[in-house]
Amino acid sequence: MSEPENVIEIRNLSKDYRDFWGRRKVQALKSLSLDVKKGEIFGLLGPNGSGKTTTMKLLLGLLFPTAGDVKIFGEPSSNVEKNERIGYLPEESYLYRFLNADETLDFYGRLFNMSKAERKQRCEELIQQVGIQHARKRPLKEYSKGMTRRIGLAQALINNPELVLLDEPTSGLDPIGTRDMKDMILKLRDEGKTVVMCSHLLADVQDVCDRIAILYGGELKVVGKVDELLKSKDQDQFLTSALSPEARADIEAVLKKHDAKLISSDRPTSTLEELFLKTVQISQENPGQRFVSEEKGSDSPLDQKSEAKD
Amino acid sequence: MSFDVVGFDLTEGIIHFLKVFGGVLAAALFAAFLISILKNGVSGAGLFFKGLGRGCSDFLQTSPKRVWAITVLTWREASRKKALFVFVIFALLLMFAGWFLKGSVDRPDLQIKNYISFILRAITWLTLPVMLLLSCWGIPTDIKNRSLHTVVTKPVRRQEVMLGRFFGFTLVGSVVLSVMGITGYYWTVGQVPQEARAELVSRVPVYCNKTSFTNNQGGKEDTGINVGDIWQFRSYIAGGTKARALYKFDDLDLDAIRQDKRLRMEYNFEAFRTHKGEMDKRLLCQLTIVNNKSDLRVPLPIFEIQEFSNRAQEKTITLEESVSYNEEGTSTVKTANLFDDILEGNSITVEVQCLDPGQFIGMARPDLFIKMPDRSFASSYFKAVFGIWLQMVLIIVIGVTAGCFVKGPVATLLTFGIVMVGASGLSDLMRGLVTGTQNGGGPFESAYRMLFHMNPTTEIDAGPLSAVMTVLDTIMIGFLWTIQHLFPRFDFFNMSQYAANGIDVPWNATLLPSILVTLAFVIPCLILGYFSLQLREMEAK
Repeated sequence: MSEPENVIEIRNLSKDYRDFWGRRKVQALKSLSLDVKKGEIFGLLGPNGSGKTTTMKLLLGLLFPTAGDVKIFGEPSSNVEKNERIGYLPEESYLYRFLNADETLDFYGRLFNMSKAERKQRCEELIQQVGIQHARKRPLKEYSKGMTRRIGLAQALINNPELVLLDEPTSGLDPIGTRDMKDMILKLRDEGKTVVMCSHLLADVQDVCDRIAILYGGELKVVGKVDELLKSKDQDQFLTSALSPEARADIEAVLKKHDAKLISSDRPTSTLEELFLKTVQISQENPGQRFVSEEKGSDSPLDQKSEAKD
Repeated sequence: MSFDVVGFDLTEGIIHFLKVFGGVLAAALFAAFLISILKNGVSGAGLFFKGLGRGCSDFLQTSPKRVWAITVLTWREASRKKALFVFVIFALLLMFAGWFLKGSVDRPDLQIKNYISFILRAITWLTLPVMLLLSCWGIPTDIKNRSLHTVVTKPVRRQEVMLGRFFGFTLVGSVVLSVMGITGYYWTVGQVPQEARAELVSRVPVYCNKTSFTNNQGGKEDTGINVGDIWQFRSYIAGGTKARALYKFDDLDLDAIRQDKRLRMEYNFEAFRTHKGEMDKRLLCQLTIVNNKSDLRVPLPIFEIQEFSNRAQEKTITLEESVSYNEEGTSTVKTANLFDDILEGNSITVEVQCLDPGQFIGMARPDLFIKMPDRSFASSYFKAVFGIWLQMVLIIVIGVTAGCFVKGPVATLLTFGIVMVGASGLSDLMRGLVTGTQNGGGPFESAYRMLFHMNPTTEIDAGPLSAVMTVLDTIMIGFLWTIQHLFPRFDFFNMSQYAANGIDVPWNATLLPSILVTLAFVIPCLILGYFSLQLREMEAK
């Protein structure tokens, strides 16, 4: 199978921020080189000030590189035509706050020279997709942060782009919003689009990204597939149904026989995100129902999930 | 009120524009080339030409749809951010202005002037500052709020952003101006007393190209007598002598005159008295029509100069199709036909004389004009509103351009400064310097004179030093000449005075140069704005 083509090629990219007199204030990016392949979700990770957003803005031509090259779809980042195939969600949704959702999407649709019918159809689809039908006629200044992120994503997708650049897509979203956003990102990949996202919310990146790059102090420290980077080379893990004490003792004996050390053995736990989402879901279905109280030690909603589903 | 209306020479105007525009463009390109070489070394030359090519290509690929999208956005922004609140202030002004203007004068002719001046001034002062602020803050606010990030990351070219903003603000201003202009028109007409409504017209003057004079003995002169008036606008002729002023009018619209079946003239002469004379009697004046081809002289009835009246009717002299006159030197009454005897083709010559010995009549070129059939008041009024619109467009384009490279407050100050310099006109010193009529030479020669305590009229000995100073002054004056053209002359646009004085705004002398001045600034501003946005990092820290 042939290697997927590169959508983004970054070579020795550096960016210095300078003061009024041209003196270097900070070197935000140091000789960064990486590629993003077609159809993958690529995550840019790093602490604050590591150069994630600077990289994103260099890709979009909002900043000019001090040195190095950036090519998107084989074109220089300064080329305006490349933007026909790109969607961009900024860190904050810097949209025009006096417009409502319909007007916002219509405006951005016009910037792509889309016909009126096309704009209308796309606007309907996206408003449904991001779930803001109820607020489509309200000006954006009245939107919550989560709703603003949603309309921000909708405007990024108005042109059905091949490459989507998402800057902190889940920042400020509640767990439901975060889950929806992650689902949408995965859906974009399923549709064959390439997604580049930068975030410092590691769990989110782990959930959706195929490959990641970790930046620190403007330098590339790690790059690779998430699964491979996280896989432990000197440990094995088995997941079984609940075991009796006897079975547990037998397994430990077998492990001892093969000179293997049991590091830990416990019931697996779910994630807090799962717990939260399930609680909300059941609460919507049964508004009067209460679940866990520490004193009574009653069942978790996650247990009820399996009962309810099964 | 006098209008020294001078026809606009289109060819000379275009050559002048090309000189200034070409000069500034060449200097800017050279500076950009030099900076590119210094910054990038030898490859800087390639980058310079690449950037230039890209700029040309970008302009050719401008998408009207995207420009329109940003225009609509600008309209929505202005209307939703309550910019149209300006209408409320205008309505308040109109509601109460009548109280203050009504009793100010008891002469209806002056009252009309007051109403028209007031309404046009109110429209100007309400519209222009609002549009200045909106245009100066539009793009800087977009950059500050980073809303522009979501626009320029779409396939939008920088000039489309600028054009969209420019057209958007122009649309907002045009709507504001239209509503105010139409309301103001009906308000003015409604305020004018019924008996003075006949004065509410637009007179269409035809001015002579050049006047000539004869002196007291009848000898030909270029000018009349200077009576000591510092302002040498008018020349004077002595009464009771052979002194005459000659006005020759060419290119008259004969069809319009034939249709009107009469020829009207209006004067605006000034009297200058060397003795009091009779208290209740004004100076006597006589016009004589001269046909140079047939040597026919037709003296018209003697009249008193209505020097303090603003009423056109009192200063109008009408020649009907058949004119009866007393032949000069005899008492024979003769008749002349306006079209067959008096007019020389489509020209006419008028001789003016003062009949009061010891007194003078002063006149300038525009003080006697042929009145073509009147147009409605709406003609001059709405042309004056158009003049305000042109000023507004000019302010918007300067404001939007300034907003492309500096922040909102600086852009506002910059635009305001340019408008103020342009509106106040350049100082006499500056005009003298750039036209070479200033005594004492240019800046370097003046500095030398100050250093050695020489007065401005003393000759400086020829030598290497004076040669160097002359060269340096020539360069400096060339630079100042260019700089003075970077400030638009707002006095071109002042068409309110025409409407207020009941005169139609002339196309060739006022409307055409105003439109061309606006265009002459719009085009370079768009280029400057494009490169400012293109070379600017949107996210620079």
